[in-house]
Amino acid sequence: MSASVRSRRLLIFLGVLLVLAIWLSLALGPVSLPLLDTLRAALRMVGLPVTAAGLEQAELILGQIRLPRTLLGLAVGAVLALSGVAMQGLFRNPLADPGLVGVSSGAALGAAVAIVAGASLGGVPAAFEPYLLSFCAFVGGLGVTALVYRLGRHDGQTSVATMLLAGIALTALAGAAIGLFTYMADDSTLRSLTFWNMGSLNGASYARLWPLLIVALAVSLWLPRRARALNALLLGESEARHLGFEVERLKRELVFCTALGVGAAVAAAGLIGFIGLVVPHLVRLIAGPDHRILLPASALAGASLLLLADLVARLALAPAELPIGIVTAMIGAPFFLYLLLRGRA
Amino acid sequence: MRRIAGALALLIGVLTAPGLAGAEDLPQRWVSAGGSLSEWVVALGGERKLVGVDSTSQHPGSLRALPSIGYQRQLAAEGILALKPDLLLGSEEMGPPTVLAQLKAAGVRIETLSAAPEVPALQANLKRLGELLGDPQRAARTLADYEARLQRQAQWVEQARVTAPAPRVLFLLGHVGNSPMAAGKDTAAAWFVEHAGGRNLTGHDGYKPISAESMAALDPDVVVFADRRLSGDDAIAALLKSTPALASTKAAKGGRILWVDPTLLVGGLGPRIPQALADLSAGFYPAAPPLKVADRQP
Repeated sequence: MSASVRSRRLLIFLGVLLVLAIWLSLALGPVSLPLLDTLRAALRMVGLPVTAAGLEQAELILGQIRLPRTLLGLAVGAVLALSGVAMQGLFRNPLADPGLVGVSSGAALGAAVAIVAGASLGGVPAAFEPYLLSFCAFVGGLGVTALVYRLGRHDGQTSVATMLLAGIALTALAGAAIGLFTYMADDSTLRSLTFWNMGSLNGASYARLWPLLIVALAVSLWLPRRARALNALLLGESEARHLGFEVERLKRELVFCTALGVGAAVAAAGLIGFIGLVVPHLVRLIAGPDHRILLPASALAGASLLLLADLVARLALAPAELPIGIVTAMIGAPFFLYLLLRGRA
Repeated sequence: MRRIAGALALLIGVLTAPGLAGAEDLPQRWVSAGGSLSEWVVALGGERKLVGVDSTSQHPGSLRALPSIGYQRQLAAEGILALKPDLLLGSEEMGPPTVLAQLKAAGVRIETLSAAPEVPALQANLKRLGELLGDPQRAARTLADYEARLQRQAQWVEQARVTAPAPRVLFLLGHVGNSPMAAGKDTAAAWFVEHAGGRNLTGHDGYKPISAESMAALDPDVVVFADRRLSGDDAIAALLKSTPALASTKAAKGGRILWVDPTLLVGGLGPRIPQALADLSAGFYPAAPPLKVADRQP
């Protein structure tokens, strides 16, 4: 079987998996709806003429709770996985994670500022208040990443190694600042902060969804266009340059894409670990290192995995909910160990 | 199909209900997201209406058998809807706001009561709960009784202070094994200490870690310890083991380390507060005759 046939089959398989995950995410939840009602409500939502009799509850739960949640999971999963591919390509290291350039810790710092200081700050217009947390997380992520990128630049060149180290240093610094805010927090804000750090797709609403959807769409359309350049980068920076790719521009674009994508994802759903690390890895194991397959396949797999993890999060303790970061880490960490041990053998 | 029809009828019924007109409109399926609010619902005779509670509702123990909706700030809309409630009760801390909006859209009435540890908040809460339970007289009686007990407590403290000075109190909150946190001046713990007749020593806000040295320097007459996992003498033994610096204080030398249940401090004034205050003040003023706890809750 040729490589292209295999990768086409993988993409088809992942596409089917994603459709299945979306369906499960719409059909399952703590409220048990008859399958037929779910189906009819779903058909009505896409505009097909189905009788509305007896569908009020199904439409409400599907339309107002499960659909926004599913869209959120879809966007967050795809963006995190794509950013993971971009970072692993940029650092030419399969253990790289979007957090390396400081976007996660910057977002966490922004969230800590919003949660702890936001309450006492006052003066925030009431209309803006529900968005304060997301806004601060997004700005924090983008800001710290910009700083990491700036520190990595010297004489018009971006040193990836310096960026990596700057990322570690700024992550530590952000950690210290978060610690300071944690110290100043009272009991209840402390718990909000803890929960935010574990991520959740809970409480998704259309009003807060669209900025992320736009970013996710842009990143998913744009990154695959750089697949060839990323492939060339695998050979080394100078090799890629000799092959005619603008390496400096590529680096800048990769960092910007990651900061934008992860920043928006984290702002909408909190910190969700391991998707960005494990999904590209998993796909690479099956499909090989070609970014033309790796990028779309990772986006599909990341979205599916996050939706399935969210199903566990909302069903395991129903009517209460498990933070989704716990679920992804519980799946991700053992898998990561398995990869490490397998590589050693 | 019958179940859906029932749920639907319920939904339509709730959507079209014109507020609190008559007894037939009273909410029958309650979800409570607040420890002391759940306690009050039980104290006012509404326990059989509860169909779910949050993770802070631990008292009375029978509530733990109900489905848990998780932490009050991280409620999940669908999980709560699965319990088919017509009322969600909680404090200002309840959230996130989008989930509350979704629940409201699904026809769940949302009652937000105050969790402030002060009597006016309690008065308003009990009045509202009485209306919602359809028994305002019982709520009024309970409130009057509660206030009378707080009143007697205050008088008792006044009496005791004639003969003995107010003890200087350090309130520590901790998990076993970690260094404890000291309760600051604006906390429910400080309210508790003051109303039991003690003087809270700390000057900071909230609950903050406190160093062994500052504990020794404060040299409290009494240490009050609230631990989440151990109770009574076990908690005190563990505290002394984990914080040897305490041993040099007057409190430890005089054997005046007192344990209180930390769930008393969460979510405003609960029904167990007067009794706990009486117990604590008896520890503060060992020489005074203890306050008689006559008429307890009906």
